[in-house]
Amino acid sequence: MSTPVLETENLVKVYGRGPAAFHALKGLTFEINRGESVAIVGKSGSGKSTLMHLLALLDEPTSGVVALDGKPVTKLKPKVVSGLRNATFGFVFQQFFLNPNQTVLENVTLPLKIAGVSKSERNERGMAALEQLEMADKAKNKATDLSGGQKQRVCIARALINNPEVLFADEPTGNLDTATSETVEDILFGLHRDHGITLVVVTHDEDLAAKCQRRLIMQDGQIVEEQTGASTAPPTAAQAPAASGEPSQPKPATRRRLMKFGKGGAR
Amino acid sequence: MRSLDVTKTAFSNTLRSKMRTFLTVIAIFIGAFALTLTSGLGAGINQTVDRIFGGFGEDDVIYVVPQIEADATDQDGPPEYDPDAAANMDSGFGTGMLTAEDIETIENTEHITSVSAEVAAQIEYVETAEGGQYQAQFDFALNDALAEVAAGATPDRGAMEIAVPEDWASIYDTDDPEDLVGESLTIAAPNAVGQLTEIEVEISGVLHGTLAGVGFQPIPSVALAEEVAEINLEGYEGQVSEGYIMAAAEVENLEENEEAVKAALTDEGFWPMTLEDQIGMFETLIDAITWILSGFALIALLAASFGIVNTLLMSVQERTREIGLMKALGMSSGKVFGLFSMEAVLIGVMGSLLGIGLGLATGFVADAFLTAEDGPLGGFAELSLFGLNPLAIGGIFLLIVLIAFLAGTLPAARAAKKDPIEALRYE
Repeated sequence: MSTPVLETENLVKVYGRGPAAFHALKGLTFEINRGESVAIVGKSGSGKSTLMHLLALLDEPTSGVVALDGKPVTKLKPKVVSGLRNATFGFVFQQFFLNPNQTVLENVTLPLKIAGVSKSERNERGMAALEQLEMADKAKNKATDLSGGQKQRVCIARALINNPEVLFADEPTGNLDTATSETVEDILFGLHRDHGITLVVVTHDEDLAAKCQRRLIMQDGQIVEEQTGASTAPPTAAQAPAASGEPSQPKPATRRRLMKFGKGGAR
Repeated sequence: MRSLDVTKTAFSNTLRSKMRTFLTVIAIFIGAFALTLTSGLGAGINQTVDRIFGGFGEDDVIYVVPQIEADATDQDGPPEYDPDAAANMDSGFGTGMLTAEDIETIENTEHITSVSAEVAAQIEYVETAEGGQYQAQFDFALNDALAEVAAGATPDRGAMEIAVPEDWASIYDTDDPEDLVGESLTIAAPNAVGQLTEIEVEISGVLHGTLAGVGFQPIPSVALAEEVAEINLEGYEGQVSEGYIMAAAEVENLEENEEAVKAALTDEGFWPMTLEDQIGMFETLIDAITWILSGFALIALLAASFGIVNTLLMSVQERTREIGLMKALGMSSGKVFGLFSMEAVLIGVMGSLLGIGLGLATGFVADAFLTAEDGPLGGFAELSLFGLNPLAIGGIFLLIVLIAFLAGTLPAARAAKKDPIEALRYE
């Protein structure tokens, strides 16, 4: 736990050149520790999405370093970076990005397919992940037949299937109504709390941000403020309507199930 | 991503917009179908030629005709008259005639043991024992080597014998060619002033018609042809220069001496050909025609390949977000490229399998129908219009798959180049 799972040093991202150049990020240096929940908060255009893309290795910085588990990744080959993304990260997007032609199970197991896991193991782990999110009965449905909340749960199952170290959630509740949002939030924070997953949430929703342990407030490509400690206003996880199981009792069981996959299994 | 998964995913992707895939496959199908038919046609006719000439492989004979003058087609005006040149008749090869002197030269060439020369022999009519008179013309006596015998044998070159076409059975009121063998036939040969001399000959055999054009006219023995030619010249006033259409030279140990004999004869101004060379010329011609026809089929394939490019470009555009997601979830650009080029390859595989399958079926059914006993082309012995050439079929399959792959590279490269962030933002 000593090395931060993600750290950046003087991270700069510039779009365009010359006088038209737009400095999206102006030299950010910070760390995200293992097991932490961090919200990147800001208005649109503040650079929060750009920052997430750089942290998630989807983009390369103009200058500066992103290090994963203490190792700089900026100079790695694209293929290696793709492999790292597949094995280390889980993604939850605002627009879900589910493939409408495929079943829920096929959608959930896509990262495993990309990783080259055999079909039987894919299905086994896919069903386990769906069960964890109480979506097992929808496994054979087409992804289009689901409600928004169900879709986002499928997305979370897909993000969890590789047993990732870091879960990136880009406006995970942006397309959901308030009640569904709360359920999804509870699931995400439940995973963070129960399984020690590092959670990086990008949002402009202050209620959601408030549930994170740390908030990086961004403005004009810079972190203008850093807040720590969960805010008082939102309900704590213990009070939340249990979407991912009872808070205390099933905890060891769930954990065992997650551990069973093993970190090496994804590669 | 495993190769099997890539293939399966690519396959299910091609089935996503079935109509579009189907239309693209149709275009490939047409090309594959046409290629299969043309190559099958070439293979079938070549097989026919092989079968017809196949029995004469060990013939130790080189056929000799005069060489075509290199500048024959370029000359200005007619050549000057040469009284020693052979009679100014066409041999049927478009090459002029051999003189007696030429025959001697050929005879004196090393390794040549004997020479039979083909003379031009004209007959007026043939008459059966019953008295019926029929019009006829002799085929070349030396064509006996190319003849396909239905009954009996080809005429003995030294004897007064003749082989007649199969349909002559009708003038003997029989269906069985065997009945004709041994029958006698009277040949009426005219001389220079029109007087007829009759020669009685024995029918040695009955001939099938072959694609080489042999067997539709009676083939006389060499001796009979010479006899008739002599009669033709009787009563001719003035100098007769003997002319031969062609000479057949027996060569000792042809396999070993072929090159030497051919070189010697070529130096002397002749055009020597073995039976194999003649078959070779025929097959070269068939191959050339096959290639030309295949060329048109290839043009169809080329057009079809643009269909693949178009279909996949649309597909890449439609699936931009999906590509972005796959890349974000850790699929390498190489695998994305592989996925889309695999789709192109699968379209090629589907089109070529369908085209080759239906092409083969159509070819064999049409062949069976056309060359059936009572079919439109049923009169030729041994004729097959369509043949299976596994090598060519395999080649066609690989070629189409290769073309499909190449067509897929452009859309696949475009898919592989997509930036996941841009692609996920795409609406």
